[in-house]
Amino acid sequence: MNYDCIIIGGGIAGLTCGIKCASEGLRCAIISSGMSALHFSSGSIDLLGSHSGQDVIKEPYTELNRFIEENSEHPYKKCGADTIKDAFSFFQNEVSAQGLDLFSNEEKNHFHVTPVGTLKTTFLSQQSVFNKKIRDAFFRKPKIAVINIDGFRDFYPAVGRINLKKNRLFKDCEIITGSISLPDIKLNPKNPHEFRSIDICRIFDSYLDLNKISSLISSVAGDADIVGIPAFLGLNNYTVIIKSLREKTGYIIYEIPTLPPSILGIRLDNILKSRYAELGGVFIAGDRVIGGKISNGILEYIHTENHPETRLYAGSYVLSTGSFFSGGMTSNVEKIQEPVFDLAIDYDKGRENWRGQAFFHPQSHPFLSFGVKTNDYLNPYGPSGELIENLFCTGAVLSHYDPVKEGTGSGVAISTGFLAGTQIVQRKTGQNKRDHD
Amino acid sequence: MINLENISFDHCIKCTICTGYCPVAKVTHLYPGPKQSGPDLERLRIKNQRLVDASLKYCNNCKRCEIACPSDVKIADIIGSAKWKYSKKKLSLRDFLLSRTDLMGRVSTFFSPIVNFFTRLSVVKFFLDVFLNIPSKRKFPKYAYKTFRQWFSKNRDSQENFERKIVYFHGCYVNYNDHDLGKAAVAVLNALKIGVVIAREKCCGVPLIANSYFKKACKNANHNIKTLGKAVESSDMKIISSSSSCTFALKYEYANLLELDNSPIADRTEYITEIIYQEFEKGNIPKMKPVNIKAAYHAPCHLERMGSVIYTIGILKKIPGLELKLLHSECCGMSGTYGFKKECYQISQDIGSDIFKKIDKIKPDLVITDCETCKWQIEENTVYETIHPVTLLSRALEANNS
Ligand SMILES: Cc1cc2nc3c(=O)[nH]c(=O)nc-3n(C[C@H](O)[C@H](O)[C@H](O)COP(=O)(O)OP(=O)(O)OC[C@H]3O[C@@H](n4cnc5c(N)ncnc54)[C@H](O)[C@@H]3O)c2cc1C
Ligand code: SF4
Ligand code: SF4
Repeated sequence: MNYDCIIIGGGIAGLTCGIKCASEGLRCAIISSGMSALHFSSGSIDLLGSHSGQDVIKEPYTELNRFIEENSEHPYKKCGADTIKDAFSFFQNEVSAQGLDLFSNEEKNHFHVTPVGTLKTTFLSQQSVFNKKIRDAFFRKPKIAVINIDGFRDFYPAVGRINLKKNRLFKDCEIITGSISLPDIKLNPKNPHEFRSIDICRIFDSYLDLNKISSLISSVAGDADIVGIPAFLGLNNYTVIIKSLREKTGYIIYEIPTLPPSILGIRLDNILKSRYAELGGVFIAGDRVIGGKISNGILEYIHTENHPETRLYAGSYVLSTGSFFSGGMTSNVEKIQEPVFDLAIDYDKGRENWRGQAFFHPQSHPFLSFGVKTNDYLNPYGPSGELIENLFCTGAVLSHYDPVKEGTGSGVAISTGFLAGTQIVQRKTGQNKRDHD
Repeated sequence: MINLENISFDHCIKCTICTGYCPVAKVTHLYPGPKQSGPDLERLRIKNQRLVDASLKYCNNCKRCEIACPSDVKIADIIGSAKWKYSKKKLSLRDFLLSRTDLMGRVSTFFSPIVNFFTRLSVVKFFLDVFLNIPSKRKFPKYAYKTFRQWFSKNRDSQENFERKIVYFHGCYVNYNDHDLGKAAVAVLNALKIGVVIAREKCCGVPLIANSYFKKACKNANHNIKTLGKAVESSDMKIISSSSSCTFALKYEYANLLELDNSPIADRTEYITEIIYQEFEKGNIPKMKPVNIKAAYHAPCHLERMGSVIYTIGILKKIPGLELKLLHSECCGMSGTYGFKKECYQISQDIGSDIFKKIDKIKPDLVITDCETCKWQIEENTVYETIHPVTLLSRALEANNS
């Protein structure tokens, strides 16, 4: 057998699990089709933002125990508060070892600004979204300049300004808006160039003159304290670019997450994948797992869309295929299904109860919490109800949690990925299942 | 008429993630990227074919956009068939010569010492550059003397003793340039107690597709579907190839891009390392001696697209004494004949520059890759010998026999 562990799906859940296993010396492979939800995300990691969807939690670790008590089937309940804490510190250390620092507000939540200027509660962010300087500047009612780059169509500073102004935190801040033209950019006159976040990001990464861009920013931002700019300040050299803009202009540079492709999310994805590779993990990006053989409560092997006849064997398997958005769950007029193994799922059979009252609603949509049913160790149940001992489910494919309402998205992915990884390592080293109490 | 069957472009959610992974769009503004050239413009092209724009030629068909797309849009196929269906192929002697690998091979193997001598002369290179737009910096792969088939026909008898057999599609590269790879494939399969059969074959068509000779590509494809199909029809024999791009063409491109019925061969065709992997999993592992080297592995784009990298890595991990360093998966820039065109040369070099640096940093004893054109690109831009995984496997066997 070539692998100790094969992970299906390479989003933040699958990668966290893979990094955990590989860091303990296990031979791991991740098979993933299509890029994950990280490419659409803010790049900030939510841990626990709200109990009911209406309140805002300030100290997630303090509230975790109550939250777990009130939500007995929640994936967090299966992890337990200690594992969640361990998982976060493991995650933070691993990405930091690979060169990306994530900041928390001394274990309290902070907010990040969305592309339309609303605020979202979150727990860990990159330095250009949250750090101590940004936090301290807020107590001084800073002057803020929201700046766009001419031609970038996915961001409207004026809209951002109006929404920010509606917020209590920004009520007394002066907010100005403006835009600059990138100097010396090479565009092909024959092609109406796309100019999305990724295109601008590449210009920053490769040849932009940071001196020129700094003086352009200064000419628009004037005596502002903070400059908010869409997050396209590089995918490879962002640390140097942001630092240099900060030093040359004297402003605090704040990156605002953009519409997809989200550069902040892709940075995190790249870092996690490099970490995993550095630890010796194998990542297969071009294929989709379509099924496998389950007998006597054991998943024996799996096979993929491109190679339906070849069997891939491992000691343990992980299902981290995400929710509906990533194809980890599917739905049609009649039913909702887990498409790879047809695992038992928790969902409301009445189709009329799948969605909420409005698209944007604090109570979110019920379908978001539909997903795979698992026992306390994250093992799922097969089509005929039998427990599958060597398959673990992690992340958005799980049931009984709503990332939007609770603000728990990446937190659940990291915690369950870590928990699954820990158990797989224990299985491999022959120890018994951990004592759950 | 709008072809309503081919509307995968309609699944596009406009996230632009594909463009983030396009190696060409990454290094040049001449190419607007897969989203615009694929699903976006296809909507317009199906209504008015004059909206086809010349930048499509910059797509090197690496398929990395398709791997990245979360919505399963067949982006590179859309671009490929747009080149074929909507644009007229201009006459080009260079494209003709670059794409007729079997014709060039037949002639060159006959005169190989002379051809190899001339293609390395700077006068000739200058001529190729000025008159044919083939950059003088490019080295041509060396031609072998005679063909692999000629060698094989002399050794055919030894294959009769095996109970289990497999059809080996050797492809142009093995036939005209690198007999050793073909011999290594035969040796490794024999060591697994599998005999080799060779059918009549024509160039798989990959270089023809890349240079928009679609009619000729279809002709070759039909020939291969017929002869390979016939070779396996009355048995459960598999068809394998030691070239990732040939395998990709036989198995997928014939149906998805050329819209031919390749069902007689599609399910039977596998890349060579997958078959070896399956044997290894069954415990059929020949004795090997430690190779005691450090090697960097580069995964070619088409192997990545097929999801077959796992098999190559799987068998490499079974070679004793091999310290394997996996390179971050990215396009090397050569993409078959792409890097041999003057207008694409710089793009090709820029795409590969990261990989060259990473290899230099690892300082391996050699580089391993499954694709012949990746090999050319890496050998031209680094100082390291670059070999096929099966060649390394056969070296481990040889060490055992000696
Ligand atoms: C648009 C969007 C934005 C979000 N933003 C945030 C945010 O800003 N902060 C936050 O904390 N949370 C956010 N979330 C919540 C999110 O669900 C989690 O944070 C987290 O990204 C989920 O990770 P995952 O690894 O479980 O699944 P995913 O990231 O969805 O990854 C699943 C992967 O598995 C692959 N896959 C699926 N089926 C197969 C198969 N059969 N074979 C092989 N591969 C397969 C998919 O292609 C995908 O790559 C967001 C969610 C969405 C949908
Ligand atoms: S990645 Fe897929 S869905 Fe996204 S823009 Fe490209 S083709 Fe469309
Ligand atoms: S096939 Fe490769 S070069 Fe062509 S558009 Fe897709 S990613 Fe770009």
